[in-house]
Amino acid sequence: MPISELEQIKNIKNFALQVRKNILEMAVSAGSASAHFGGALSIVEIVSTLFAYQMKIDKKNPNWEKRDRFILSKGHACLAYYAALCEVGYISREELKTFEKNDTNLLGHPVINRNLGIDFSNGSLGMGLSLGIGVAISSKKKKKNFNVYVIIGDGECNEGSIWEAAIAAPNFKLDNLYVIIDKNNFQQTGSNKEIMNVENLKDKWSSFGWYTVELDGHNIKGLHNFFKESKNVKRPKAIIANTVKGKGFSFSENNNNWHHSILSKSFHEKALKELMDK
Amino acid sequence: MNINEKNIKIWSTIGSRATLGIAALELAKEIDNLMVLTCDVSTSAGLDRFRKTFPEKYLDLGIAEQNMIGVAAGLASENFNVITTTFAPFQTMRCCEQIKVNLGYMGQKICMVGIASGLALGTLGYTHCCIEDVGILRSIPGMIIISPADSLETVKALEAAVKLKKPSYLRLTGSSNNPIVYNKDYEFEIGKSITLKEGKDITIFSSGTMVYQCLEAAKILESKKISTKVVNMHTIKPIDKLAIEKACDTSFIVSVEEHNVIGGLGSAISEYKSSLKQSPRQLFLGIKDTYSKGGNYKFLKEKHRLTSEKIVEDILLNIRQAK
Amino acid sequence: MSNKRKYQDIFIKSLSINNNKFNENIKYNEIPEWDSIGHMTLMSGLEEGFDITMDTDDIVDFSSFKKGIEILKKYKVF
Repeated sequence: MPISELEQIKNIKNFALQVRKNILEMAVSAGSASAHFGGALSIVEIVSTLFAYQMKIDKKNPNWEKRDRFILSKGHACLAYYAALCEVGYISREELKTFEKNDTNLLGHPVINRNLGIDFSNGSLGMGLSLGIGVAISSKKKKKNFNVYVIIGDGECNEGSIWEAAIAAPNFKLDNLYVIIDKNNFQQTGSNKEIMNVENLKDKWSSFGWYTVELDGHNIKGLHNFFKESKNVKRPKAIIANTVKGKGFSFSENNNNWHHSILSKSFHEKALKELMDK
Repeated sequence: MNINEKNIKIWSTIGSRATLGIAALELAKEIDNLMVLTCDVSTSAGLDRFRKTFPEKYLDLGIAEQNMIGVAAGLASENFNVITTTFAPFQTMRCCEQIKVNLGYMGQKICMVGIASGLALGTLGYTHCCIEDVGILRSIPGMIIISPADSLETVKALEAAVKLKKPSYLRLTGSSNNPIVYNKDYEFEIGKSITLKEGKDITIFSSGTMVYQCLEAAKILESKKISTKVVNMHTIKPIDKLAIEKACDTSFIVSVEEHNVIGGLGSAISEYKSSLKQSPRQLFLGIKDTYSKGGNYKFLKEKHRLTSEKIVEDILLNIRQAK
Repeated sequence: MSNKRKYQDIFIKSLSINNNKFNENIKYNEIPEWDSIGHMTLMSGLEEGFDITMDTDDIVDFSSFKKGIEILKKYKVF
């Protein structure tokens, strides 16, 4: 029996809660190695909507050839990615604990490991959308009908290579390609406005030929609706997702000190309590 | 590919770039999942005919090399057999990091072809010459680097690289009327150098269009009673270590390349040679770490002392100094 | 065999076109076989067939069968 929209959204919300818990576990076990906490938290709802609802995947087979592909171009947000892959079942809880440890499969930026569901190596900013174009073209050529979802950062939009890809995708009419810009208004050493602001993201992507919307990146219902309603749009799709860096915990929200930081035991406890109280 | 005397002559006349186009066309007939990607250089790479014959196997990414490599990697990740090509400096340097991440680190199998490498486009200035590509790519783990000696070797190298399961870079040098080194078919194996001429006194290692110059130089040296071995080190990475060991039987080693003497073939040879217990001195011939004033290919070869006559002069000078 | 006949034969052979596709009005880039690669193959064939070496300018200007006849006069072919 098909589940109602309400149920779907409830599932995504639960998934997101688990993802935040997993992020906390990984961050605290990374210890002094530190973790890119803030930029992972801003994409939790986006990643959850994708993995718990929108993306066509086989929970038993990370290599299913018709699976939708996910590319975390802002690779430093991998805490959210690994956390989601754990909830899907591709990465075990034991493996999660090896995050940033020596010889691990789970480094501070994703390294390709298809058995764990990590489809690509990412982390050097500006490269993931081009990869996404190649994969989306493959889907069409092989008539496999899978979609490609790429998450990029707003700071990442400083990179010229992003715009090369932005120009190209509409030229190839890739209606199976989605880019989600995590607009959390910060980059590494300060706010975008302080460092290098890219104005009018919505206008820019739209003028490049993408079907572009601006949404609250933490509103699961809104994300859910977008994916439903834009299904038949015959152009590549861009979501400017307004998000909060460090979303989910009072101490980290909009606090750029949590871009890359150590999650001490005390902060870990504080965070867990806030999650439980919600 | 029909490798016969007639075609070898035609490929020599049209040069390695146009030969690339013909070879790609033939490969597309037998390899179903072949894709060729370029950056607005179809006509420069002899791919115009390919583009018209196999439009579904051709993608032009426009003047956006970084995007091209990413797209190529995406296709390769889905088991397409991908060739990318544009002018050598842009193919290797503009998108260098994309090459590192996608080909080196992620291991996506792509065959990149850098056209008009070396000094062939000297009239356009050094932005369009490439004397750095081998040096830069050598430092990326997992990258295979081949510099074919003539148009026939271009065909054979492309065929071999496309069949490989590893990423590679083919460095095409020379212009039209590319001198013939191989006038009939022969065994080509990636990683295995070819001794074109035996000799006992000195060994010249070379690759690319310099191989022909070295063969001509060897003739002159023989007439001066210097027994000269000439080795075509077409694969610069992985370097043929055995060939270097064997060269230690001669008393002087010369490397000749249409590349900066820093980082290229000469450096690759000396890196291994210096680990050997005893080895002869090495003379590095190539471009001496400079961007000179431009000029046509012939002019620049003379200027950088990369003609057979100048190679001979430099060898003789250095042998005398060594004694 | 006259040089005119030989010239025609070289055209047909170098460009790999059918006899019935050939006519004296063919021009560079107007048939698929006479593209940039076909052109270089043709130039190579003419140089070998008539034992000449053409100047770059002449190779560039060689835009049609008829124009070619004019150019080859310089090399004493016609």
